[in-house]
Amino acid sequence: MTEASSEGAPARVRAIGEYVPLVDGPDKVSGRAHYTADLPAAGALAGRILRSPWGHAAIRSVDTSEAQALPGVRAVVTGADCDHTFGVLPIAMHEYPLARGRVRYRGEAIAAVAADDDATAARALALIRVEVEELPAYYTAEAALAPGAIDLHEKRPGNLERDVEFEIGDLDAALAGADLVREKTYRCAEVCQAQMEMHAALADYDPERGRLTVHASTQVPYYVHLMLARCLDLEKSRIRVVKPHIGGGFGCRTETLHVEIVCALLARKAGGAVRLVTTREETFLTHRGRPEQSVRLKLGLRRDGRIAGVECETVQRGGAYSGYGIVTILYSGSLLYALYHLEHVRYRGRRVLTNTPPCGAMRGHGTVNVRFAFEALLDEMAAELGLDPFAVRRANLIDAPAVTANDLLVNSYGLPECLDRVEAASGWRERRGRLPAGRGLGMACSHYVSGASKPVHWTGEPHATVHLKLDFDGSVVILTGAPEIGQGSSTVLVQCVTEVLGVDPGRIRIVASDSEVTPKDNGAYSSRVTVMVGNAAIQAAERLLGTLTEAAARELEVSPGDVEVLGEVYRAGSQDRGLTFDEVAAAALRESGTITVKGNFSTPVEAQGGRKYRGATVGSSTGYSYAAQVVEVSVDEETGQVTVERVWVAHDCGKALNRLAVEGQVQGSVWMGMGQAMSEETGYANGLLSAPNMLDYRVPTIADSPPIDVQIVESNDPLGPFGAKEAGEGSLAGFLPALTSAVADAVALRMDELPVTPDRVWRALERRRREAERAARTKRRGAGNGEPGSASGPGPGAEPGAKPGPATRAGGGRANGAPP
Amino acid sequence: MNVLPEWELMAPESIDEVRALRAHHPGSRFLGGGTDLVVNLRRGIGDPPAALIDISRVAEMKGISVDGERLRVGAGVTIRELADDPRVRAGFPGLAAAARSIAGPTHRHMGTVGGNLCLDTRCIYYNQSEWWRAANRYCLKYGGEICHVAPKSRVCYATFSGDLAPALAILDAAEVEVAGVEGARTLPLESLHTGDGERYLALEPDELVVAVRARRPAALRTGYDKVRVRRSIDYPLAGVAAGVVREGDRLTDLRLAFTGTNPRPLRLRGTEALCGGPLDDAGMERLSGLVRRQVMAMRTTFTSGHYRRHAAGVLARRLVRRLFDGV
Amino acid sequence: MIRLLTYRLNGRERTDAVPDNVLLLDHLRETVGLTGTKTGCDGGECGACTVLVDGAPVLSCLTLSATVAGRSVETVESLAEGGRLAFIQEGFHRKLGSQCGYCTPGLIMASEALLRQDPDPSEDAIREALGSNICRCTGYVKIIEAVRWAAESSAARSGSPAEPAR
Repeated sequence: MTEASSEGAPARVRAIGEYVPLVDGPDKVSGRAHYTADLPAAGALAGRILRSPWGHAAIRSVDTSEAQALPGVRAVVTGADCDHTFGVLPIAMHEYPLARGRVRYRGEAIAAVAADDDATAARALALIRVEVEELPAYYTAEAALAPGAIDLHEKRPGNLERDVEFEIGDLDAALAGADLVREKTYRCAEVCQAQMEMHAALADYDPERGRLTVHASTQVPYYVHLMLARCLDLEKSRIRVVKPHIGGGFGCRTETLHVEIVCALLARKAGGAVRLVTTREETFLTHRGRPEQSVRLKLGLRRDGRIAGVECETVQRGGAYSGYGIVTILYSGSLLYALYHLEHVRYRGRRVLTNTPPCGAMRGHGTVNVRFAFEALLDEMAAELGLDPFAVRRANLIDAPAVTANDLLVNSYGLPECLDRVEAASGWRERRGRLPAGRGLGMACSHYVSGASKPVHWTGEPHATVHLKLDFDGSVVILTGAPEIGQGSSTVLVQCVTEVLGVDPGRIRIVASDSEVTPKDNGAYSSRVTVMVGNAAIQAAERLLGTLTEAAARELEVSPGDVEVLGEVYRAGSQDRGLTFDEVAAAALRESGTITVKGNFSTPVEAQGGRKYRGATVGSSTGYSYAAQVVEVSVDEETGQVTVERVWVAHDCGKALNRLAVEGQVQGSVWMGMGQAMSEETGYANGLLSAPNMLDYRVPTIADSPPIDVQIVESNDPLGPFGAKEAGEGSLAGFLPALTSAVADAVALRMDELPVTPDRVWRALERRRREAERAARTKRRGAGNGEPGSASGPGPGAEPGAKPGPATRAGGGRANGAPP
Repeated sequence: MNVLPEWELMAPESIDEVRALRAHHPGSRFLGGGTDLVVNLRRGIGDPPAALIDISRVAEMKGISVDGERLRVGAGVTIRELADDPRVRAGFPGLAAAARSIAGPTHRHMGTVGGNLCLDTRCIYYNQSEWWRAANRYCLKYGGEICHVAPKSRVCYATFSGDLAPALAILDAAEVEVAGVEGARTLPLESLHTGDGERYLALEPDELVVAVRARRPAALRTGYDKVRVRRSIDYPLAGVAAGVVREGDRLTDLRLAFTGTNPRPLRLRGTEALCGGPLDDAGMERLSGLVRRQVMAMRTTFTSGHYRRHAAGVLARRLVRRLFDGV
Repeated sequence: MIRLLTYRLNGRERTDAVPDNVLLLDHLRETVGLTGTKTGCDGGECGACTVLVDGAPVLSCLTLSATVAGRSVETVESLAEGGRLAFIQEGFHRKLGSQCGYCTPGLIMASEALLRQDPDPSEDAIREALGSNICRCTGYVKIIEAVRWAAESSAARSGSPAEPAR
C-alpha cells in the first residue's frame, strides 16, 4: 500500500491494485502463526478415532467396556452418543459423526477416545470391539447403479443422490443443422485437496456454565457452529467457534467434518479440553475431493466454429454420503454456460452414492471435469475443421452484458482479452506447428463463479456483514467472519477499508472468524469472500467515513460537503491546516462513544439465477471470472513421460485488488490443475484408498513444476468491489484440456483419460500403434475402406490433413489411432 | 503426538561396540538415516524392536576411499556425500548419478549408502499403516497369508527400489563388508539380496553392512537412469545402471542392472551375446528380449508392472546407446 | 527409556528429559513448545517438518530426538534477529512464497540451508534444493522468486554481488 504524497501535502493512501504482501505473512514466515494443532493445549486430553475397516456393514454391537476401563481413558464416544445427522445441505443430511446402524465406507468413524495421552488413547482404541454383518459394497458408480444393488441410504433409492436433467433450446434440431458432430467419453480419476494441514480440532467444554469452545481447521466456522449445536443438542448461544490459521482448504473444509463434532462430543463427555489431530492417512481416508467422473459429450459445430449444440451426460462417483453432491452435479450442468454463447443444451448428470469416502466441493467445484471434456472435444473438432483453437473460441464469445440461456448474469467478460494476451505471450502464432518433434502447444479456456448467489442455509439475512470499530486509540478494527485460509482474504478486506478511508494501513487491524466477536459469515467457499465480504467492507468503511466527515465538518464549522478528506488529514480547503485523523476520531467519539459501523452485501436478485429446472440457481453469481491458458509440453514417446515446460495464463478477475495475491492464486490454480492432469489420483483396492499418503498421492514437487506466466485482465465488473471478481478458481479447469491438447500437438495423441501418467500415455500409444497396424493389414487385404469420422458414436476420427507416422507432427493434432 | 513402540536407543561409536550391543540386545535393529526404517516403524511395519542401535556415529562406517580403480564406501556415508564426492563423480559417474537421483535432497542428506543397499522391499499393500494393512488382511510380507499382488503366489513380490545396488553391481568385484556378532565376513553384492520380497536380505538379524567395495575396469563407461512419475521424492518405477566398454567400433563389454522392478536388484544375464561387434539394431533387439525375459515387475506400485518392464527396456537401450556413443 | 538429552537449540544449550522413542518433531512441538515446525504427513513425504541439524536440512519427523545429542538444531524460530525477519523470511513474505503458510517453515529452513552453501543459487539450484518439500498453494513459482529475493537482498546488504560458492 503506498502513500502517493506529493510535496508537503498529505495524501490519501491508495491500497487497491498494488502488490501487497499478506497482512498475516510475518506470522507465517516466522513460525508464530498458530494452526489448530499449534494452539496451547496444556492439560488437553488426546483424542483419537476408531475407523471402519469395512466398506459396507451393519453394525451389530460396539463394545467399549474394556477401553473405558483402561486407566487414563477419560471418555469414549460411539454412535450411541449422538443420534443427530449432519451435513452441509439441509436437504441431504444423512451422515452421523460416529456411525450408527451402518458403516458405509472404509475409514468411516465408529468410535472415539479421549485419554491422558496419545499412547493411552491408541491402546484404548485397540480395545474397542465392533461386531458387524458385512453387506454388499459398491466401489464404483456402475456397481452401485446396477440392478439388484441394495440401497446405501433408505432415502436414496437406487443409490442415486440426484439425477439432474434439463434441455434448453432444441438440441436435436441444432445438431441436425451442424456441420460436424462428434461424441466422446472422457474419464477423470478421483483427486483430493491434499491440503498441507491435516484436520484438527481443539474443543473445550465447561460443564459449570454449559459452554463449548471449539477451535477447528475449517473454511466454514458458521456451519461448524450450526452442526455443533445440532449434534450436541446445545443452544447456539452456548457455543463459540474460532478459526485459527488454516493450512489450506481448497474445499476440503467447506462443510463441517466429523472431526470437530467428535472432538466436541469427547470434550463434553470428558468435561474438559480435547485435542484431536488427524493423521495424514485419516485426512485422505475421509477426503472431500473431486469425484471420479465420466463425461459423455456430444458437440455440434458449424463450419465457422460456432457451437450449434451440446449434449452432456455425466456420472459422478460421489461416495458414501451426500455432502455437497447435489450442488456438484448441478454445477457440472449449469456452468456448461457462461463461458461461451450456447443456445441448445441437453444435460443429464447423475450423482451416485458408493461405498467410498464422500466427495466434496474441491476447487473449481463441479466444473473441472466437464470443462476438460468440453474444451478437449472442442479442440479436437476445431482441428478436424481446420480451425485454429483460438479462432474456434473467438467464434463463440458472449456479447456481454448478457443473460445466458440458463439465466446466468454476465455483466463483465474479459475472455476476448484473455485470449489475445495469452496468444501473444506464448508466441502462439509464431511457434505453433513449428516446434521440434515431441514438443507441443495447447490452449483452453475456463471460468468460475465469484460467490454462489444463494447461501446454503437460507435465513433471509444479507449475504455478508462486516463491522468496523473505531475507538479512542484511533485504530480501525475490521471484524469479519470471513475465514482467512491462506487465500489472502484478510489482506483484501484491509485493503478495501484502507482504500475507502485513505488512512495509514498501520491503523487498521483485522479480527477474523471468532464467533464471540465477529459477525457471522457463511465462509470461504465458491470464491465468495472478495466479492461479497469485500463489498460489505467497502460499505462499512464508507459509513465510517461519513461519520468522520460529519464530525470533522462540525469541528471545522463547515458543511460536510466542504470537507476534504486526505486520509490522515481532514481539512476545509487547501489553506487549512486541517484536523488529524486522531482529532477527527476524538470529535466523532464525543458524540457517540466508541464507534461501530456495519456494512452489508446481498447478491442482487437479477444475479440469483433462474428457474428453468430444479436447482437452476446453482451456478448463479454476481460475476464470472474468465481465463485462457497455453501449455507447452514435451512428450517422450517411448517412456510416455509428459513434461510441462511452461504455462501462460491470462485471468480476468474484474479488478486486481491485490496483484500479488491474484498472481499467486492464479498460479496455484493452474498448478493444482496440473496435479490433477499429470499425476494425482486416489485409487482404491477393494474400496480401501490405496494412496493415503503424500508419496503415492503424487502432488507435484518443485522439480515437476513449470514457470507460470500470469497476465491479469481487468474487465471491471459493475457488481464487484472496485470491479473485482474471483481469482482463485477460474483458471484451474483450463489446464487439463490445454495439457491434453498440447500432448495432441506434440505427438498426435488425444488423451481422454486423466491423469496422463506415463503408463497411461504409453498404453494409449500402444493402442494407437496396434490399431494402425490392424488398419494397415485391413487395407492390404483390400477389404472395406474405413469410415473415418462417422458422425456419431465414440471412437477416434481421423482429421483431414494429418500426416501418417507416429513421430510426424500433425498441424492440429490427430485423433488417436485412425489412419488418414 | 506420534506414538511409537518403546525401545532403548543406543549410539555406539565403533563396530566393536556395535557388535557388543547387538549381542546383548537380540531384538535390536540398526538405525541409519531413518528414511526407511523410521517410516516403517511409524507405520507399525515389522515387529517392534526392543532396542535400536544408531550407527550414525560409528567411525569405521564413514568415509569414501578411492584408490585408482578401487572404491570403498562406508555404509554410514550419506547419499549426498557420495553424490557430491568429486572422485566418485569422476571415476564412477554411474554411481554418482544413481546417488543424485535418489528421493529428494533432504532425504539424500539423511539417507545412507548402507540404508539404500539394504532398503526394505516395497509394495503398495505393504507400505501402509497398521490400520490399513489390518483392514486389507495383511500380506505375505508381514503378518498375512496372502500376496495381494499375486494371490496364488507363495512368495512375496515386493520390489527392491534402491538405486545404488544396480550402479555398484555393474562394477567388478562388488562386495559388501558385513559385521555380525560372530565376526566379520565379505559377501559378493550379488549375494546380498535373496530375490524373495519378504526375506529380501541374505544377512542374519545380527549382521549389518559396514562398507561396500567395487572396482571399475579402466575402460568401463558407466551411467544410470530411471523413470518415476515425479522428479523428486518418488522411488523409481524402473531404474537401470549400465556399463559399456567400446573398442573402436566394437562393443566388447556390456553390463546392465535394474531396480524398481524385481524383488532384488537384477543383474541382466546374457549381455555377452551382444558383444564383439558394433552396437546395431539387432543387438538392441536382443537387449530388449533379455529385458523382457528377466525383468519381472508386478503391480506393487500404483503404476502397472507392464509399464515398468517396458520403461526398463527403453531406459536400458537409451543408456547403452548413449554410453557407447560417448555423448 | 528416558534419558537426559543435551543439545543446542536455536543457539542455546539445553538439556531435556527425552524418551528414546520420541521424534524430534514431537519433541520440538510438544515438549519444547516451538510449534513453527509443522507436521504435514505420516513420515518423510512432505518436508513441512524440515529443521537444520548441524546446519544441514533434516526431516524431524524421521529423526529420533536422542540422536541429536551434542548437535545443533535450528528451527524457523531461530532466524529472526531482534524480532526482525531474516532475508529468507522477508523474501517469502514479500514475494508471496507463503500462502497458507503451513509448508513455509520447512521450505524456509531448506532454503536457508541452500543459501548458506550457495549464496547466489540459480533457479535450477533452487529447484534441486527444495525437492523434498511439498507446497500445495503456490505452484512454487513465487517460492523460487522468494529465495532469489533473499539471495539478492543479502548480497546487496553485504555490499558485494552474490557469488556462487561453487
